[in-house]
Formats: sequence, C-alpha cells, structure tokens
Amino acid sequence: MNASDELVQVEAVSRRFPLDHNYVSALDNASLHVAAGEFLAIAGPSGSGKSTLLNLIGCIDKPTSGRILVEGVDTSTLSPSRMSALRREKIGFVFQTFNLIPVFTAAENVEFPLLIQRVGSHERKSRVAAALESVGLSARANHRPDLLSGGERQRVAVARAIVHHPALVLADEPTANLDTHNATQLIDLMHDLNRRLGLTFIFSTHDARLLEHTDRIVRLCDGQVESDSPVQGGRRG
Amino acid sequence: MDKFLLLAFRNIFRNRRRTLMTLMMVGGGVAGLLLAGGYFAFMTHGLRESTINDGLGHIQIFTADHFRRDEARVLDTGIENWRQVAATVSTGGHVRGVAPRIEFYGMVSNGTKAAGFMGSAVDPAAEKSLGFVSRIVSGRDLDPKPAGEVEALIGVGLAKSMNVSVGDGLTLLAMTSDGALNGVDVEIVGLTNSGVAELDARSLRITLPAAQRLLQSDRVTNLVVGLDATDNTDRVAAEMAPRLRGLPQQMVLKKWIDLATYYKQVNTMFNGIFLFMGVIVFFMVLMSSVNTLLMSMFERTREIGTMLAMGTPRGWIVALFMVEATLLGVMGAIVGVVGGNLLGMLLNASGLHMPPPPGYTVAIPFRVLHVPAQMIGASLLVIVSLALASILPAIRASRLQIAEALAHV
Repeated sequence: MNASDELVQVEAVSRRFPLDHNYVSALDNASLHVAAGEFLAIAGPSGSGKSTLLNLIGCIDKPTSGRILVEGVDTSTLSPSRMSALRREKIGFVFQTFNLIPVFTAAENVEFPLLIQRVGSHERKSRVAAALESVGLSARANHRPDLLSGGERQRVAVARAIVHHPALVLADEPTANLDTHNATQLIDLMHDLNRRLGLTFIFSTHDARLLEHTDRIVRLCDGQVESDSPVQGGRRG
Repeated sequence: MDKFLLLAFRNIFRNRRRTLMTLMMVGGGVAGLLLAGGYFAFMTHGLRESTINDGLGHIQIFTADHFRRDEARVLDTGIENWRQVAATVSTGGHVRGVAPRIEFYGMVSNGTKAAGFMGSAVDPAAEKSLGFVSRIVSGRDLDPKPAGEVEALIGVGLAKSMNVSVGDGLTLLAMTSDGALNGVDVEIVGLTNSGVAELDARSLRITLPAAQRLLQSDRVTNLVVGLDATDNTDRVAAEMAPRLRGLPQQMVLKKWIDLATYYKQVNTMFNGIFLFMGVIVFFMVLMSSVNTLLMSMFERTREIGTMLAMGTPRGWIVALFMVEATLLGVMGAIVGVVGGNLLGMLLNASGLHMPPPPGYTVAIPFRVLHVPAQMIGASLLVIVSLALASILPAIRASRLQIAEALAHV
C-alpha cells in the first residue's frame, strides 16, 4: 500500500479517559492504515476500544497521544470548525441505534447531510432518490422512522451516510440492534456499496458471524491492535 | 432553510402534552394581559369621554392671567369680550360649539348653617347643545330663561349637609370684582351626583346671568369648546392657537388632557399596573420555558450528538432551538390573542358590573376593549421571552461533547 493510497492513518494513538482520580485507557498505542476503497471490520469484545477508535477516526474525539490523518490531513491540528467541516464533507456515519431524526421522513433524514452542505434543492432531490434506491427503500421514502422496521431504519441510516459521497463511511456496531438475517443483509448491502461506488467502509462488530463477509479484520483487545489480517476467501469483488 | 424551519416546527409537536401545557401557559399570559389591558382601556376611554362630556370639553380658553387669579375675585382676570373670543374660536372646522363659564367660589347658607361651595355658572342652552349633561338624580336641569327666582343645581352631598332638597331656597354669598360681598337667593331645582363624593359635597351650578349679577361683572372665566370627536383635539388646537393671538387680551388655550388631572392619574395608575403585569408574565414565561426547553434538550441529546457528528455547524443547533422557541412563542401568542378576545367578548356579553371604586358611588360596567396595540405588545412580549428562554438550552445543546452525546441513553 502506497502512502498516497492511504485514506486513514492511525499512528500510535492512545486515548485515556479520566475516571475518579485516575485514568482508564480505552486505546493504547494503536496503529492502523486504511486504503481508499477498503471494506474493513474492527472486531473485539465489548470494551476493547472499537467505538473509541471509530470516534477518533471520525473526528468526533481527539487522541490523548499519537495522530490520525484523514486524506493526509493531521486531524489533531484542526480547529473545531474545520473538524466539523471535515466530518460534513468527507465522512458518513452509521450508528448502532440508527439515530434518525424522528420527525423527519426517511427521505428528509437522507437529505440532512446535503442540507448542512447547502446543496441546492434540485440536486438534493436527485441525490436522495439515488441514495434511497441504492439501499432499496425508494418506496418507503415518505415514511417516518417509527413506521419502519429496524432493518429499514438502518438502511435509511446507510443512505444518509453515503448521500453526500463521502470518502469514508464509519459504522459503529451497525448490526447490534438487528436480527441475524437483517444484520447479514446490511453488511452485504454495505459491501455492495463499497464495490459499486468505491466507498471506504470501516465498521465495528463483535458478531463473529459477520466477519466472513468482510475483506479485512482488525482485532482489538484491551485497547491494543491484536491482529490485522485479510479474510481468507473474503468477498472482495 | 425551509427544511430547517420544518424541522423546528415538527420538533415543537414531539411531546404534545408538554407543548400544550406551554401553549396554555404562554396563551394564558397573553390572554390575561389582553383582558386586563382591555378592561383598563375601557376604563380610561370611558373616563376620558365622561370627563369631557361632564363639562370639561375638548378645549378651554382662558386669559393668560387666569392662572395667577385671586380665587375670591375670579373675574378680575376673566375674559372681557367673551362673545368676540367665542366667535373667533368657532370659525374653525370640527367645532360643535362654545360654552361660556364662570368658575367661582363662595359661601352658601340656609339661614342656620353656611358652607363653602365651588360654583359653576353656565349657559344651559350652550351646555345642552354641546351634550354636556349634569347628572341629575332629583328635580330638573336649569331653565335657560327662568321666569322667577335664580335657579340652582347642587350636589347631593351639599344638599345633605345643608339639609335641603328640591324646591328649597338657599342664599349664595360671593365677592364681587370690586371687593364687596354680594348675595343672591336661589331656588334649588335639582340635585346632581357626579359619582365623586368630595365633589358632590361642594358643587353648585347656576346660570351665567345670575352669576354675573352676583359677581357684578359681565366677564367669564373661561370658554369651553366642544368638538365633533376627541381625536381631533390636537389638530383643532394647533389651528386655533394662532387665531387667539390676534385678540386684545392675551389668551391661553388648554386641551382637555392638560386639565384632566384625575384622568391622567388614573391612566398612569393603569399603565403602571399593566406594566407590572407584563413584567410578571415575562418572567413567568421566561422561567418556565427555560425548564421546558432544557428538558427538551436533554431528551434530544443523542440526536443533537448525531447532528453534530454529521458536521452540523454548532450555530445551526443554537438557531434550531431558538427558532423552535420563537415558533412556540408565536403559537402561544396566537392562542392568547384568540382566547383573550373570545373571553373578552364573552365577558362583554355577560353584562357584569364592577363595584364602585374608592371615592365613587356608581358601579362601573365590566367591558373589555379589543386594542390591537395591546395584542401586538403582549405577543411580542411572550415571543421575546421565549426566544430569550431558549438561549441557555441552545448554547448547552451546541456545546455538547459529541462522543458523550452519542452515548447518552
């Protein structure tokens, strides 16, 4: 992998949180390089540092030490507003609990990242339609989240994460609230989008059954990278 | 921007019960202000017109020396050729008529007892043509051309203290313009009740010729000008003032508001009460809304975290909360204006009366005027109050730590 291909570089990153008069280390000297177009799973038990690592890569938290580069930009040097702009333009998020805006319809939820980028209304409309179609939810565009199933909500969340054509999609335990069938479908959907649109996906999971659907697995344990290996017979297209 | 407003609008109805309570509170505040303000407006409007129609008129003309007069010899500073002055002021538009007056003081006696009085000598025909009515509770008004004795109307309080009634006689004593004491016998033809007990204990009214005979002068103290509408007072006064400057005596023009001391006191009092109520409503809405909006913020912590994670500028979060609160204020104001006006109409139709205020003897009807300025003012008050109340929750929401907000349960 050439440095120029690298979308994300995690270099000796640690993250400690204060706890009473002490500190708890959520991530300890972790390093990771992710190339553009990868479909990568971060695996590990609860408390291993998966969410912390995704938060740091997603610029919603800052490392205690080490540095993270996204498209070659050292995120630790960015001001809060530049971090916000980086997230807005370069990163899409999928959350464990879907985190859709309950008063918006599916289409309006998908439209939101375009609204905050001040994309014109005509283009917003066409991009939202394309994103919903790519997740197979065109027919549910005008439904509010409470009228959608868990699987549908998460697909709306995926459409929201990709609608602004980000360089990177981060999904923190996206299947944790789904049954096995929906979970497998969601991972396959994300993998399909990865292949068709060339989007880079990094998602965390502790469900071993889903890992065979990925190309590369980074295993964390106690905040440290335990292993980083491609999946034998992975589904790289 | 339309979607942003839509989001704010829909957020208001997330917790319908809480929104309903907030709307009731805000609307109740507005309605309360409108009812109180509408009642005060009715009182002040009624007081204004009754003050004018009870004889104050819209404009009064005095000599410049009148305000330095000796109260025992009021006509020394009176208007000499009052008919010429009356003709001068009558030439302008909107003037319905001019009534000459002599306001004087003296003693009244029933032969065994004497008391001071505040006299008013009038031309009954001119007074009647201007619609100035004496509130006669017994007997009749003064005859413009009485055949026999000098006629008098006296206040009910004065009649009681002098132990006289309609048909009885009294003797008036007053100082003439050359300093001599003069007297005239009068027949009481009616008793008046102004509603102000202190005034009724001293008031007395006779005809202008009778007073001129008593005071030995053909002058008058003032001319009362009646207009077609109170709202024309300022315009007519501005047109009239230059004409008065051409007269031999130096004249002073006073508008009704300059002479209506009691009206001004009542108006000031009502304005003060209304302002105080406004301050109470402002803080009531402010404090309770801060709590409501903070609750709303805590409930939406994870959603705000999600929006921030997606790169929503923090200023947008502040704006979202402030727009939501402002929209809530607008809706509360609409509820209050509609509710307040409907309630006002109901109260007006009910025919309620308020007990007489201190110093009054007549019950006052309860009416609520619908005043657009009050509706706008009360609405702006609650809208601003809610917008201010949203600042703290909005800033707290915008400063949430994203990772913590996303983990919020």
